[in-house]
Amino acid sequence: MTAGGPPHAEVALVDLLDRLLAGGVVITGDLSLCIADVELVRISLRALLTSVEGATEGILT
Amino acid sequence: MDKDTVERDLVRLVLTVVELLRQLMERQAIRRVERNNLTEEQEERIGMTLMILDDRMTELRTRYDLSPEDLNLDLGPLGPLLPRQEGRH
Repeated sequence: MTAGGPPHAEVALVDLLDRLLAGGVVITGDLSLCIADVELVRISLRALLTSVEGATEGILT
Repeated sequence: MDKDTVERDLVRLVLTVVELLRQLMERQAIRRVERNNLTEEQEERIGMTLMILDDRMTELRTRYDLSPEDLNLDLGPLGPLLPRQEGRH
């Protein structure tokens, strides 16, 4: 997985997160943690991550 | 693996997370300021707070003898966690 742009241009994760937040992201998923076929933890995820100004600019409309 | 090593490594881990969040909020703040939809007073206070946070981080790093690069994880194919230091104060 590489970021777009010129090759070898390192993009720090923090910059990636910054851009992601500016646009807003939705994360959905189901996680279950099992040990020895025993399901111990189940996480059902539906998350919206966005910067506050992004949310006020029609992402949610 | 003595007690001091464990403490230093733990502090390093915690500071790494804090530093990531600090830099992320710094960037988001810059975006907001560029959009110009903050009041003068808000910009002033955000700038001040971020500066104080930066100083406090430096202080804590010094206390535990950690360099900025010590808080920058190499995530392999994802690249570094934070930008590489290039003469940044």
